[in-house]
Amino acid sequence: MIQTKRKRVPVRSLKEEEDDLLLLDSNDYDGDSLSGSLHSDIFDPEDDGSSEDGERESSEDEVDGLEGSDDNDDGDESELVDGSDQGSEQQDEESDSSEDEVAPRNTVGDIPLDWYKDEKHIGYDITGKMITKKEKPDKLESFLATSDDYKNLYKIYDEYNDEKVELTKKEIMFIHRMLKGKAPHADFDPHAPYVDWFICDDARHPLSSAPEPKRRFLPSKSEAKMVAKLVRAIRKGLIKFDKPEEELNLYLLWAGDSTSDQKSKQLTYIPPPKRKLPGHEESYNPCLEFIPTEEEKASYKLMPEEDQPKLIPQRFTTLRSIPAYVNALKESFDRCLDLYLCPRVRKKRINIDPESLKPKLPSRNDLRPYPDSCYLEYKGHTGKVTTISTDYYGQWIASGSTDGSVRIWEVETGRCLKIWQFDEAIKCVAWNPLSGLSILAVAMGRDLVILNTELDTDEEQEYIKELLHLGNVIEPNASVAAIARWLPDEKYGGIMIRHFKNVSSIDWHRKGDYLSTVMASGETRGVVIHQISKKLTQKPFKIRGLPVTAVFHPSRSYLFIATRKNVRVYNLLKVDEPVKKLETGMREISSLAIHPGGDNLIVGSKEGKMCWFDMDLSSKPYKTLKNHPKDITNVEFHRSYPLFASSSEDSTAYVFHGKVYNDLNENPLIVPLEILRSHSTSSNGGGVLDCKFHPRQPWLFTAGADSNIKLYCH
Amino acid sequence: MDVDREDVSRRLHVKFVTKLDSPFKVPVNSVAIPSNVTRLGLSSIVNSIIESDNPEWKTEPFDFLIDGELIRMSLEEFLLAKGISAERTLEIEYIRAVTPRKEEEPSLHDDWVSAVNGSSPRFILTGCYDSLGRVWRLAGSCSHILEGHSGAISSVALVNSNDAETVTVATASKDRTLRLFKFDPAESVDSTTKVRAYKILRGHKASVQSVSAQKSGNMICSSSWDCTINLWNTNESTLEGESVSVKKRKGNNQAEESQSEGEAVTSLVGHTQCVSSVVWPEHDVIYSSSWDHSVRRWDVETGKDSLNLFCGKALNTVDVGGEGSALIAAGGSDPILRVWDPRKPGTSAPVFQFSSHSSWISACKWHKSSWFHLLSASYDGKIMLWDLRTAWPLSVIDTHNDKVLSADWWKGESVVSGGADSNLRISSGIAIS
Repeated sequence: MIQTKRKRVPVRSLKEEEDDLLLLDSNDYDGDSLSGSLHSDIFDPEDDGSSEDGERESSEDEVDGLEGSDDNDDGDESELVDGSDQGSEQQDEESDSSEDEVAPRNTVGDIPLDWYKDEKHIGYDITGKMITKKEKPDKLESFLATSDDYKNLYKIYDEYNDEKVELTKKEIMFIHRMLKGKAPHADFDPHAPYVDWFICDDARHPLSSAPEPKRRFLPSKSEAKMVAKLVRAIRKGLIKFDKPEEELNLYLLWAGDSTSDQKSKQLTYIPPPKRKLPGHEESYNPCLEFIPTEEEKASYKLMPEEDQPKLIPQRFTTLRSIPAYVNALKESFDRCLDLYLCPRVRKKRINIDPESLKPKLPSRNDLRPYPDSCYLEYKGHTGKVTTISTDYYGQWIASGSTDGSVRIWEVETGRCLKIWQFDEAIKCVAWNPLSGLSILAVAMGRDLVILNTELDTDEEQEYIKELLHLGNVIEPNASVAAIARWLPDEKYGGIMIRHFKNVSSIDWHRKGDYLSTVMASGETRGVVIHQISKKLTQKPFKIRGLPVTAVFHPSRSYLFIATRKNVRVYNLLKVDEPVKKLETGMREISSLAIHPGGDNLIVGSKEGKMCWFDMDLSSKPYKTLKNHPKDITNVEFHRSYPLFASSSEDSTAYVFHGKVYNDLNENPLIVPLEILRSHSTSSNGGGVLDCKFHPRQPWLFTAGADSNIKLYCH
Repeated sequence: MDVDREDVSRRLHVKFVTKLDSPFKVPVNSVAIPSNVTRLGLSSIVNSIIESDNPEWKTEPFDFLIDGELIRMSLEEFLLAKGISAERTLEIEYIRAVTPRKEEEPSLHDDWVSAVNGSSPRFILTGCYDSLGRVWRLAGSCSHILEGHSGAISSVALVNSNDAETVTVATASKDRTLRLFKFDPAESVDSTTKVRAYKILRGHKASVQSVSAQKSGNMICSSSWDCTINLWNTNESTLEGESVSVKKRKGNNQAEESQSEGEAVTSLVGHTQCVSSVVWPEHDVIYSSSWDHSVRRWDVETGKDSLNLFCGKALNTVDVGGEGSALIAAGGSDPILRVWDPRKPGTSAPVFQFSSHSSWISACKWHKSSWFHLLSASYDGKIMLWDLRTAWPLSVIDTHNDKVLSADWWKGESVVSGGADSNLRISSGIAIS
């Protein structure tokens, strides 16, 4: 019966509900009176007195009219809205018979009221005049009004019609009931007995004669299935009853791209370096103090390129006047080039404290004695001292120099005892390792000269003279004769062995009779062994590669031959094939030293690396030490102390603690101890050219390119 | 005078006492002096006090002792450091400063001077790298040349000085022999006399490093690079074995008729490296130092070592002296002069360490009469005089231009030294009471 208009205002909706109620009980008298009172003009305290009377009268008329037309039960509102036009009212009455619709007294039309929310008028009437809003009472006034008259509490503001409506008692009761969730009308019985009009059984003419379907009395399988499914889902936890706490969708607004973790997990992501935030001087309109004066600008130009400031602050009055960036095109091109050439391999950066990776080394003080301070110098050579060698007791030291002289020095005082002068630069000197056989092997150019130092007792001197007397040389076979010839040395009365190539290194066998000679350019014939007592030369090996140096094993009959890249160990009794081959992985070996125990050796290379081999362990280096920036010239083990040293062309010598344990399970302990750098670092290829330990004291001799020999003591 | 100017600082009441004789004595009155004076200030005060009595007084440096300790800082600091009360009257003993007052002309040699001996007050013995030993009566006047060696002389020792007419001298050389010389220092000749050895001692297999004589003069001991210490007789009597060897030498025409040869009486074996120095201070006790880092005391009777001090450094020199002639001083391959007291139970640590040198120590000698004084010579070219009562050197003699290889006291008031600058230098006028 009632087609309610769209709900506009609470009052209106209230009225509609009330109308609905009226439907149910059409004979209710109160409803009519309510509707009448609803539309009655509500007392407005703000109305001026003049209009008040008139309106009141009219409202009374309206109420009367309402009451009068009570029986009609319709059309009353329209009559009220526009009381002036009776004819149109009549038409309305006729046109919609059942209309409860109340034509708004407000003629602004069906528009949202918030259009004119901020205006003083509420809209326009038909004639185009503004309908002004009534002024609202402010809080204080309404409070006063409430306190004056309790009825004011029951007044409601009808926004659409811009008026106040007073609720009747009945309406208030309705509201209360509805708030409680009950039917508004007290007489309505929500639990009235159900009348089943369509009983199918026992009816003479049932609506359907079909037998009762099974679904009426059998539980539904599809529902059971669905329930089972749900139960399963609940058990699995797919359905949750309590809602998960919603995470706060907060994020750091100013966080840079680099901080986001998700990006950094991706493989290709490389965080860009953070840029410095711009300062005041980079503003387009910086303060005057940031702007350099002409003098300062001129001074910038005098500066070297790298010291000049990147940006000279400039001042522009407006953003508009800033010119285009000069280098924009160039920089974007550079950026493209960078991207084009940027590495595609991600470098794994490990975040480990480098200190923790260092091995725990014993303190240097616990490893004393070792050479650390230079007290003595042996001065006298005029050229670079290329080689040194100590005698058995450590009383004397022999040195050879590029000035062609071989000198013998007293270790204790630094006194030069003997000088032999040769024509060529001395390549190598080696003192015989026997105590009573003070002879010196000197290599220079192609010659190897055995010198008698005359430092021994008379009996020993006689033996040495006999030894160095070149009597009847056994005729060697042709192949050996092509390599080396034994000649008497006229100048100093020793033996001279002339080789077919330049001699690069010599080493005495521990028994003092054999002497190995290496000729670097001799290729397969590069290593020969001379026997002094028999004046015999042997060529036991065929060398692969260019030999660099050869060293006898300190206790067994092995010979270590270093070629440029590898070290081969030959058995002197069975010389066919190398017993062992040690791979150094270095570019060019320069020197080799064997631990007095015989199982460890160190190899120095020309790229400044030093390898420690434990031959029981493997044929690969046990440790590789990269200390020197330049070529290593010599490496050396101490005969009795756990020390080894390396000398280099960078004018330093390093001293290490190198302890080899008898227990095979324990790896050798290597501790760097001291850097000895008192040799002058002169421009013409300075450096330390040789180093030798004192045979009995923890002292180190170093031969420098500055023509000095130094002794470092503990 | 300093006293008048130093009004601001605290004043101390001191009394100067001395054991010196009359010209050095001051009246035993208490004087008030400022507390911040140093040794120099004290010295000038004493000098001015003496001068007030004796107008012909020449200023003389003094050293000052409080309770037997030398003052080496300001008086105030010294009292603070030692915890001595400044309230009561201090008694300061003064001695003449131990410092050379006169430097004699250097005596130039032909080569490095490797050995110096000043045991005899009449002359100085030197050994040289030109294999000659020399006897210097005064600075610059060489009276005798001891010839015969074929290698550098490493050590010289006075064997017998009791005999007034002839003096016996032993030289050790790097040619592995020792030679004994006899000469008369009293003979007055203008030119230098050449002396040949009367006895050649052969037996060492390597360079002889050091020689020292027994007090009686009958025996000498020598140490060598062959790790042994050999004992030799010095008398001229030829035993049969020796005469055989002499005959042998004669056959080779290498030795003169007058020369005899001697062999070692006994050999003390125990050192494992070069024995660098020996001293024979008592009848049957020999001290030796070695490059095997030890100082040993040998009992001559048994030939065993009764004391073995381990030092950790190769040692070049050893001397025994000081209180009761029992302290052992040794220096070696580091700049520290160490002094041990073997009487202390369980000692292996040195009781004194003097470390003002900057290179190896080549010689150290105790003063013959003083318990406290010793000298040390070093490769840094300096000779330092030490007093056990202070850790600072009393005096530094820096006259050599090169390494000092040997040094000794002479006549109790001079220091004689030889070095790599081929000079024998004498610094005299050292007042040791």
